[in-house]
Amino acid sequence: MNKISLKFSTMITTVALAAMLAGVWLAEIYRQHDSRAMLLPDRVMTLFPDPKPLTAFALTDDKNRVFDLASLKGKWSFLFFGFTHCPDVCPTTLAVLARARDSIAKNMAGAEDIQFVFISVDPNRDTASKLRQYVDYFDATFLGVTGDSAQIGNLAAQLGATYQVAITPGLENYPVYHTTAVFLLDPRARSHAVFTPPHDAEAISKRFKVVRELAAGYAT
Amino acid sequence: MRWRHPVIVCLISALSLVPAASAGGGVSVRDAWIRETPPGMTMMAGYMQMRNNTSRPQFLVAASSSGFESVMIHRTVVKDGMAGMVHLSQIELAPDAGLIFAPGGNHLMLMNPRLALRAGDAVVVKLEFRGGLVLPVTFEVRR
Repeated sequence: MNKISLKFSTMITTVALAAMLAGVWLAEIYRQHDSRAMLLPDRVMTLFPDPKPLTAFALTDDKNRVFDLASLKGKWSFLFFGFTHCPDVCPTTLAVLARARDSIAKNMAGAEDIQFVFISVDPNRDTASKLRQYVDYFDATFLGVTGDSAQIGNLAAQLGATYQVAITPGLENYPVYHTTAVFLLDPRARSHAVFTPPHDAEAISKRFKVVRELAAGYAT
Repeated sequence: MRWRHPVIVCLISALSLVPAASAGGGVSVRDAWIRETPPGMTMMAGYMQMRNNTSRPQFLVAASSSGFESVMIHRTVVKDGMAGMVHLSQIELAPDAGLIFAPGGNHLMLMNPRLALRAGDAVVVKLEFRGGLVLPVTFEVRR
């Protein structure tokens, strides 16, 4: 073996050793701070560094009860805007959220302090009983909510959600456009994070676990 | 009951696979399914994997089914962070290529089912192509 190749192989060995050590070190960092390390920016969730408290709004739930700011307090809330005549995006998202809820309930203590709320932007067609029937299909714990357009607009604007209902006279199936993000509010009714599509149940459940742990850490 | 004749078992297995794939005129379709909806809902979406096995482009121009009042070709598009659906008057299948109808993208919008459809049911949808080809495809209703 000549000198150059010896030098080369020494170098390769050094690099390999360094890479292994770095791997061990990184694994240890992950183990110690696993929650924090997983909060690296990604395409699943955006965490707001300074959660914004929501202000008053008034909607009605699928049992004709008031749904307002107080309904959001003391619970983590997942909010999704849609409408029941939506054949593609809404059932797809609600099915994912139902699986996410199962996963959260299975892997974490205290699934009682979470709620999933489907907000219909189409009160013209989505009555309370229709909403109840609709959300019930995906998960009996889900809540359907709607209200007059000014109040839906109020909550949507506070969250940064957008929608458009193009009611057309004589057209039964008028088009409705809506945000596909899922909004996460913390138990103080603050806009805490937003999940962006494509939605995945495991990814949502994993990140929620981290968010909740972090929030608990700040609180103590 | 015991199956004594492997041939019969094979035949039955083969028959049970028939609805999963359809082909005709150089276009094949597989994994055709309709998402089950909550009871009472009138809008359903159908998904499938299409393939154009010819060297010429093919155009899906319409779809119909005796199981629904009407069927339209739709695509979910996201604009300014909002999802909406656009109606397509036709959709092109490139030569020797696949075209996917999947949640969040292309889909058949199936309106006003004549009977309540539940997971496990099957519905035939006729896909009509430019040039007159009509391909009946069995869609399975899935949860």
